[in-house]
This record gives sequence, C-alpha cells and structure tokens, in this order.
Amino acid sequence: MNKHEKKHSSVYDLPLDLKSQQKAQGENLKSIAKGNLRLYHPQKNNKIEFIELLRKRINRHIASSMVACVHCGLCAKSCHYALARPLDPTMTPVYKADQIRQVFKKHIDITSRLIPWWTHARSVQCDEDLNRLKNVVFGTCSACNRCSFNCPMGVDTASLIRFTRGILTELGIVPEGMFNVSRDQWETGNQMAVSKEDYRETIAWIKEELQDEKVTTQIDIPIDKENCDFLYVINPREIKFDPRSIADAAKIFNRGGESWTLTNWGWDQTNFGLFSGDDKLGAYVAKNVYESAIRLKAKRIVISECGHGYRSTRWEGYNWADYMQDIPSESVIKTLKRYLQQGCIQVDPSKNPDPVTFHDSCNIARAGDLIEEPRWILNKICAEFREMHPNRQENFCCTGGSGLLSMSEYKPLRMEVAKIKADQLKATGAKQVCTICHNCVDGLSDVIQHYHLNMKVVQIIELFANAMVI
Amino acid sequence: MSSFLRILENEVQIAALCFMATMYTIKLIWLFRFNFFKEKTIPAGNVNAAILHSMINIGQPWAMESTRKNLPFYFQFIIFHIGVAIAIGVTFIIPYWPQLLDNILIMWAFQLIVAMAFAVGIFRIIRRVAIPNMRVISSLDDYFSLIFVNIFFISTIFAIPNEYEKNETPLIIFFTLTTFFLLYVPFSKISHYLYYPFTRYFIGRTIGHRGIYFKRKGLENE
Repeated sequence: MNKHEKKHSSVYDLPLDLKSQQKAQGENLKSIAKGNLRLYHPQKNNKIEFIELLRKRINRHIASSMVACVHCGLCAKSCHYALARPLDPTMTPVYKADQIRQVFKKHIDITSRLIPWWTHARSVQCDEDLNRLKNVVFGTCSACNRCSFNCPMGVDTASLIRFTRGILTELGIVPEGMFNVSRDQWETGNQMAVSKEDYRETIAWIKEELQDEKVTTQIDIPIDKENCDFLYVINPREIKFDPRSIADAAKIFNRGGESWTLTNWGWDQTNFGLFSGDDKLGAYVAKNVYESAIRLKAKRIVISECGHGYRSTRWEGYNWADYMQDIPSESVIKTLKRYLQQGCIQVDPSKNPDPVTFHDSCNIARAGDLIEEPRWILNKICAEFREMHPNRQENFCCTGGSGLLSMSEYKPLRMEVAKIKADQLKATGAKQVCTICHNCVDGLSDVIQHYHLNMKVVQIIELFANAMVI
Repeated sequence: MSSFLRILENEVQIAALCFMATMYTIKLIWLFRFNFFKEKTIPAGNVNAAILHSMINIGQPWAMESTRKNLPFYFQFIIFHIGVAIAIGVTFIIPYWPQLLDNILIMWAFQLIVAMAFAVGIFRIIRRVAIPNMRVISSLDDYFSLIFVNIFFISTIFAIPNEYEKNETPLIIFFTLTTFFLLYVPFSKISHYLYYPFTRYFIGRTIGHRGIYFKRKGLENE
C-alpha cells in the first residue's frame, strides 16, 4: 500500500475474508471438485500464477488499452468516485487501471520491460499485493464504463478492471460476497440458490394470486412449454424478493395474447461471471439459457428487466460461451414497446400520475442498445416524464453496479461517492425513478435511503401493468 | 552548408527514421500476436459507421462529455498536436522542400503555432507537477516526454528560418534533437498514436455492433 492509499482510504487494507471459502471446501462442493469455483491457496506461488494468467489471457483489445494510455487524467472528470473525492488521487480511473498496467509493463510490454523504472513498471511481490489489487478492482470501481466513453484515446478501463478481476477470481482472491454468489450460480444454476421446488412453488403461488385478482379472463404462467413464441428468462431476485414483477409480466403477456413460457432450468438471465471476470462462469450460465431455448424450441429469448443480465445474455454470453447466436434475443422492453405500437394493449397514462424520471443502467446504455425505447414507453404510460441530466450514455452509475451490492465491505465508500447520483436524482424533482435493471433498483434504493431523498424506485413493467386498460 | 549538417539532415535522419519504423513494425507484430475475438451475436447496429465515428471522435469535441465540458483543455490539445505535426513536418521540409519556408507568411505562421504549442506544453508540465492527482499517475517517461517535446518546440522555432548561411547552430541542435526524438519515441508514451487506431477500433466495434450508436435501419421502431 502506498502513501496515497494509506492517507485517503481504508479500502485498500481490507483483508481477504476466507470464511466462505473454507466452509465451501468443507462441503466438498461439485463446482470445487470440477475446478470451476476457485479457492485461495496461500501455499501456492500466486504471484507467478498471476503473471502467467495475465500472459495467457490477454487479447488484442486488452493489450491495446494497456499500452495506449497517455496519463492525461481526463478520465477523472467522468468517474463518480473521482468526482466525489476530488482530492484523492487513488480514485481516478487511470490510477486504478495503472495498478494492472504496471504489472503488464513489467512482464509483457515489449519496450517497458527494457526500462521498467522509466515507465512505472513493477511486478506484484506477494499475496498482500494481490489482495490490495483485489480491493482496487472490486472495491473502488463499479465498471460503469463512463471513463472508457470519455477517454480521447479510447482506453477501455472498465475492461481492464474486469480482466484483472478475472485473474484474481481464478486465484481465489475475491471478496467474500462475490465468492458466495459465484458459488451459488455454479452450484444451483442461479445466483440466489433458488431450489427447483421453491421456483415451482413461487410460480404456482403467483399464478393463484393472479387468478384471484381476475384481471384477465385466463392467466397462465407456463413452465417448459414447447414451441412458444418466446422463452422468458428472469432475475432470481424476482422469485425471491419481487414476484410482483413476474405477475405483472404474466398479466401483460396474457393481455397481449402471447405464446410464452418460463423454463425449469436455465431461467436465470443474470450472470456473476460479468462481475467477477470469470468467463467460464459467464459461459456456463449463459449457455444454460441458450440451450433451454433450443430444448423448448422457442422462437426467441425475452430477457426480463435487468441491466447486467441483459448485457450478459444478449451480448457477452455468446462470446464467453463461444456460441454463435442462433435464436434472436431481446429485452422485455422491446416486447412491451411492440405491444403499444401494434395497439394490442391499451394504456392510460393518468394511472401513473406521479412525475417519473429515468435512470439508464450502465450495462444497457453503455454496453447494450436500449436507450430510446424505455423513454418512448414511459412517455406513453406515465402522465409526466422528466429527463435526468446527464442521461443516456452519459448517465452516472446507480453505484451498485459490477456486483458491489454483494460486497458489503465496500459499502461506506460506495455510499460516499453516491453523492453524485443523489444530487442528480434530487435535481429532477421527480417522485419516482424508473430503471430497467434490478441491480439498479437496489443500488438506487440505497442511495435514496442514505441521502434521505423523497423518491421511490419503480420498473417499467410495474408502471406498464398499472397503466393497462383492462 | 557544412557537410556535417548535410549528413545530419539527410543520412542520419533516414537512419533514425528506419530505426523508428523497425521498432514500430516490431511493436505492431507484437500487438497482432494477441488474440482477436470475433463477435458471435446478431448485430444491432452499423459497425463500420461506428468505427469511423470512433476514429474521428477526437475531431468532435461535442461528442464526449470530457471534451465538451473542458473546451479550453481540448483546444490546448489541438494546438499542442498541431505544433507537434508542424515540428515533425519541418524535419522533412528543411531538407526536401526548403523553398516553402521562403514564404515569410508560412514561416511566421509555423513559428507562431509552434510557439503556442510550446506555451501549452509549459502549461502541461505545470499541470502535471502541480496537481497531486496528476503527479501520482506520472512516470519519468511522462515528465521527460513533455519536457523533451517542449525543448524540441523551441529548437523548431529557431530552425524554421533555415538560415544555415548565417548560423548553422540552430539547425544542428534541431536535427540532433530530431535524431534523438526518432530513437526515443518508440520507447516512450509519445508512440501512443500507434495504438490509437486499435483502441478506437475496439470501442467503435462494440458501440456499433450493439447499436449503442448507429442503430441498424429498421431496428429503431422495433
């Protein structure tokens, strides 16, 4: 830890918490036996392995971002960490990226290897250094990609952060929360360890509730139905904490006369592989979804509201799994827009009278393709839509991105830098902030609570279901 | 003109250029040896348009918040780089097209722009030294490259009149620095322009393929 890190933040000296890893080892988990879920081994030469993995995994995209940075410092003007802590030099994206860049320069860069002291090239010396690096890449960056979009050179710092996370994950040097969720996703196929029974029971319960409501004549939530127009994949949070969103989706799909289905396996569209940098986990989870769609002969995959889930399932998953996309996939937002455009569902915006603003999820606005669609829908289903500034590709992160919600040790810093987001929300004067990401729902809820904002977080599917004319 | 200056302007420069070209070729071969992954998803946007947009992004200060909100910084960047381009250009103009500098307006314009670039360079050195956040990220290469380019600017201003009959010293200093420049650049951050097309290509490919910008026609209304 250098003097700047000592002076400015308590994040860098957070130790590696191994309680969950030790417990998992004692349970002889399948994913550990297969070598999928990686554990930390202090007796191994992790330094050498780190450098070997760096060498092995680097691709042209990452290598070019390693060498292209000119240290102009402009990225600091776009990062919510750096903006909230302007006097802390360790919060700038360039500083964070340099922690891996220096190792790259020392061992891989063709010219810096010759004169390492001239370019700040240096190696990792021990596991302490790797733990410090863990705290930098997991604890001080939400990989929101804002700096990459604002770099004149096009340096992709968010990808460098994910790349480093992936190597550390392979060595078991990960925050406990990240380890736990990855373990659950490897072991159960979903990130919240929802059992098959719980899944089926929750769906059956939602179905009963909907039938009691009698909002439409016939409501069905099919599971494993073949030859449907689409397979609907969801976030486990919807099963565990927010079944309302599945009920709303069912109402809307039934109203729209859709032929759709859920699946018994491969229903989790979220993917912690994106956050941990573990492409193997990313491939495994995404492939479960793609293969379910094939098995059920679905014509397309529809992804429920989720930022990183959409990015992983629609975009990154195919690359991780080396799987050529064969079935079209889309966000449920596009499905909803189609219903409105085709006139198969009528809505009454006065049913959502409170002013609503929209928060663009980083994983969608800067890594996906849904920017105007949610706004188009909100203008149809709400009485008053207010734009947040900045917005679209320039929006600020909810502060809970990249798995930070699961890493409680970094929460104090996360809440401190959330001031940028809180100010942005407050300036809209809206009573509701809408987002199409479950992660952002929790991230924004934390911000609202911490900064005592008079606002609630909603999602489009909820507002849409509410606005439907029955 | 002395034979020393003639050799320095010609043979020595060509040899140094060859060295730089060799080093750049090695660097490019090195970069091309890293894996290149192909997108496996159905595209949502126009990849070529996005790559082009990404490449010329630097000429559109309104395109990025970081430049749009820091226009003075952006214009400093423009002046500095035009100054660099002129200084490099002069290393070719003096030996191969000296008559261009007979035009006094062109000569003064070159000197003025390089002088402005020098002023920007001084500001950049102060910024790098005075701002703690900049100091922390700066390596010796960052400082030296900046100082060296500034010295090169000064020598360019004095070399531009190309008055070797009166005094060869400014030209000898200029071409000696140029030689050093050509030998040093491949090892320093000054060679960032070599990587610019790569990083901008990858950003452009992603934003285009995914339809973040330049959504494919017909998809807008889906």
